[in-house]
Amino acid sequence: MDNTTKQLHIIYGDGGIGVGGDDFHYIFNYTRGGIESMVINGREWMYREPKPTFWRATTDNDRGNGFSKQAVQWYGANMFASADKVDIKINDQLIDFPSAPRNNQYSNHEYADQVAIIYHYATLTTPSTDVEVSYTVTADGVMSVHVHYTGNDQLPDLPVFGMRFVLPTAATGYEYAGLSGETYPDRMAGGIPGEYRIDGLPVTNYMVPQDCGVHMKTDWLTITRNATKVSSDHSDTPFSIKFEKDGQPFAFSCLPYTAGELENATHQEELPLPRRTVVSILGAVRGVGGIDSWGRDVEAQYHIPAGKDIDFGFKIRKV
Amino acid sequence: MEPDIKWLDDPETFRVGMMPAHSDHQFYRSTDEINNDHSSYVQSLNGQWQFAFAKDPMHRIKNFYAADFDSDNFDEIQVPQHIEFADYDDFHYINTMYPWEGKIYRRPAYALDQSDPEAGQFSEAPDNPVGQYIKKFQLASNFKDQKVRVRFDGVEKAMYVWLNGHFLGYAEDSFTPSEFDLTPYLQDGENRLAVEVFKLSTAAWLEDQDMFRFFGIFRDVSLIAQPEAHIEDLSIKPTLSDDLKDGTLNVTTKMTVNKSGATAKVSVADADGKELYADSQPVNDAITVKDLSLKHVHLYDNHQPYLYQLTIEIDDKDGNILEIVPYKFGFRKIEINQDKVIMLNGKRLVINGVNRHEWDCHSGRVVSVDDMKADIRTFKKNNINAVRTCHYPDHTLWYHLCDINGIYVMAENNLESHGTWQKLGAVEPSYNVPGSVPQWKAAVVDRARNNYELLKNHASIIFWSLGNESYAGDDIQAMEEFYKSVDSTRLVHYEGVVQNRKYEDKISDVESRMYASPDEIKDYLDHDPKKPFLLCEYMHDMGNSLGGMKSYIDLIDRYPMYAGGFIWDFIDQAIEVNDEVTGQKVLRYGGDFDDRMSDYEFSGDGLMFADRTEKPAMQEVKYYYGQHN
Repeated sequence: MDNTTKQLHIIYGDGGIGVGGDDFHYIFNYTRGGIESMVINGREWMYREPKPTFWRATTDNDRGNGFSKQAVQWYGANMFASADKVDIKINDQLIDFPSAPRNNQYSNHEYADQVAIIYHYATLTTPSTDVEVSYTVTADGVMSVHVHYTGNDQLPDLPVFGMRFVLPTAATGYEYAGLSGETYPDRMAGGIPGEYRIDGLPVTNYMVPQDCGVHMKTDWLTITRNATKVSSDHSDTPFSIKFEKDGQPFAFSCLPYTAGELENATHQEELPLPRRTVVSILGAVRGVGGIDSWGRDVEAQYHIPAGKDIDFGFKIRKV
Repeated sequence: MEPDIKWLDDPETFRVGMMPAHSDHQFYRSTDEINNDHSSYVQSLNGQWQFAFAKDPMHRIKNFYAADFDSDNFDEIQVPQHIEFADYDDFHYINTMYPWEGKIYRRPAYALDQSDPEAGQFSEAPDNPVGQYIKKFQLASNFKDQKVRVRFDGVEKAMYVWLNGHFLGYAEDSFTPSEFDLTPYLQDGENRLAVEVFKLSTAAWLEDQDMFRFFGIFRDVSLIAQPEAHIEDLSIKPTLSDDLKDGTLNVTTKMTVNKSGATAKVSVADADGKELYADSQPVNDAITVKDLSLKHVHLYDNHQPYLYQLTIEIDDKDGNILEIVPYKFGFRKIEINQDKVIMLNGKRLVINGVNRHEWDCHSGRVVSVDDMKADIRTFKKNNINAVRTCHYPDHTLWYHLCDINGIYVMAENNLESHGTWQKLGAVEPSYNVPGSVPQWKAAVVDRARNNYELLKNHASIIFWSLGNESYAGDDIQAMEEFYKSVDSTRLVHYEGVVQNRKYEDKISDVESRMYASPDEIKDYLDHDPKKPFLLCEYMHDMGNSLGGMKSYIDLIDRYPMYAGGFIWDFIDQAIEVNDEVTGQKVLRYGGDFDDRMSDYEFSGDGLMFADRTEKPAMQEVKYYYGQHN
């Protein structure tokens, strides 16, 4: 039977669940903690599964005031985050987890209007706290991502909180609607609202590589690539994906490196050759501070207190 | 006089045979020369010089300055250039600690023990490299039969000078000009100028600035011919009436006159060239303008940097021009009012400032005219209205550019001795110099005089600054007293007195702090403050920083006695090199040259990257500095 009503086609696999439509197909891995594949118009957008991100590469001020030492648990939590439980909702109804052999009840003709996959992470901190990431896919292929951090006041302030997507190849550039330049919560008054296009994936040229490239108050972000890793694909036709706000604006950075890669370099030239695109969609950003670089804390209103819940969402759609 | 290597060890010997410090006026033979900004009284000696390097004083060539010394096997070096950039000595960046930290145990002469001169501390030091320069030159034909001096605009850190084998003198104070009279020893044909530069001397204790530690001839070298009647020093004192409407101009000069019968034509014009005053007077001891009253003058400030033109032409008795001295001056009044608010022209002064080291990633503190002009454009574009010349006098063109562009200047002395009193973050002044050590007083007062005499006519300068992070004692008090004795038209600034409050009624017109938090500033200003407050350094823009600036800007509306501050700082200090792995041009910082001990990336605090591109934080500066502009 044809999918004439444009419902989502669902594949209840053994290792994950596939969700597809006319021009998209997504696979959510059960053991790897997130979306393993996100194909839109025949092109893959995922290099590795997106994960919650808790760490920013130490800034000079973070080093000077000891913040990285205080927050060091989040470094490990960021590096090794893994989900220990997955839930699935079909048309907003939680179903019994379709593990084998329970999934033998299904066929290759399973359809729904909406599918949600919810990953539960327990942070690798002491004590641990919960992070829940849900991906809700509708028949038009739009993926709504909702992220919830459960506060625990026994934990140190967070360096950052968001979702980190690693895309298979380096973007040729990105466009966004938000503030000009690199902005942080305590350094955004000079940012001018507008629509901006950035060529390539610039890393701010700080003498020692460090967290950079954050853009606050963003309504949407479109990332454009022109290459895939498919061996037979020699095309350089640009193709794009769009992240857009779902309610509140979000913050983001779009860089060729993870926080860990930036953290390890003492000079720009030590950073690897850019090969991928690391998109961090951020629900909470810590200020950078500036009173001095040898002890003064970031002003309190620009901290991310660990004891408070953080809740944010955004949508991903084809362009 | 015979030179003595032991002068390197002696804080009481810092200038020998030098001509007195004087104003930075130029003099020309014609108006054409003025218009072309080229004086035929000046012969540049920049370019290739002969050079020999010695790793320490013991290994230097002892007779290299002799008239008959065979220097054919000397190398060549570019002048101006830091010797380190010519690959003879090594790059080294360190902040507070002295560059010999962990390698040589040193204490400043007389600091711990009044009877201990620390003999041989630098003159016999294994870490004191030497640059020996020889420049052979022919005097320009129009210099014949005139008095001729040589002028070094900047040499780090101690220099001995000879001409044709005759010793001329010795200079320290690396960042102000040193001039020596060549006249007695000039000869027809080839002349030989020999300069011996030491990286260390007692000056090193006073020049512990947080920067790459360089040495050598790093600014221009010029031969300067002197007309038969010549303005050696020009002092322009424009003052304003109490209602700020009318100006009074006083001008005086110091002259060298070899030929009588000269006449001076003095004129004053407004910015449109309209002549407001003209006078002719015989040239004797001084050319003067006394209490010239100018009604309804234009005031000088950041928005309208209105400059008047003073021109003094000296003619010989036959009416031939000997020299023309043009100088632009402005009327502005800086004062602290009865409410302890810093006022400029009757309005509260708000400093939207930056600290600026001279820096070019290709040449260190050898900065080009283009660098300076680019920096001024960056200031104007981003609402920066003030600069502190941290922590030494800059190239003199910089002050002229500030005059023209209305950039308020805190003109700082070449002084920073934080390594003598800041130990692992603690205030520990046991061997502080200059402190109150009598043997160090004359040297630092001389630095104040050099700074003042050179720059006294600049409209843009509204503060003199005694130096940076040198603690406080009788010697710095003497610097303050010097400025107060010569200049009633500007304020004197010094931050270091907050570390030693015993001197706070004697040093600094303002309460100046660095890196005080907004709450600490409120605390000072809420508790019967003695002085207006400013931040000589704040918003430490190291790497990804400059967050929270709003809390400082908010103080401006709340506290009239808060005068704003100078962001630390303008440009990252890093050096461009070719990466040894990729061959790409990359920026390197302290520790990257095996230089130890080091403070590594701590010199990367600029609003600009070292390659003179703006950091992302600049838009924030532009925004907040536009709020009270």
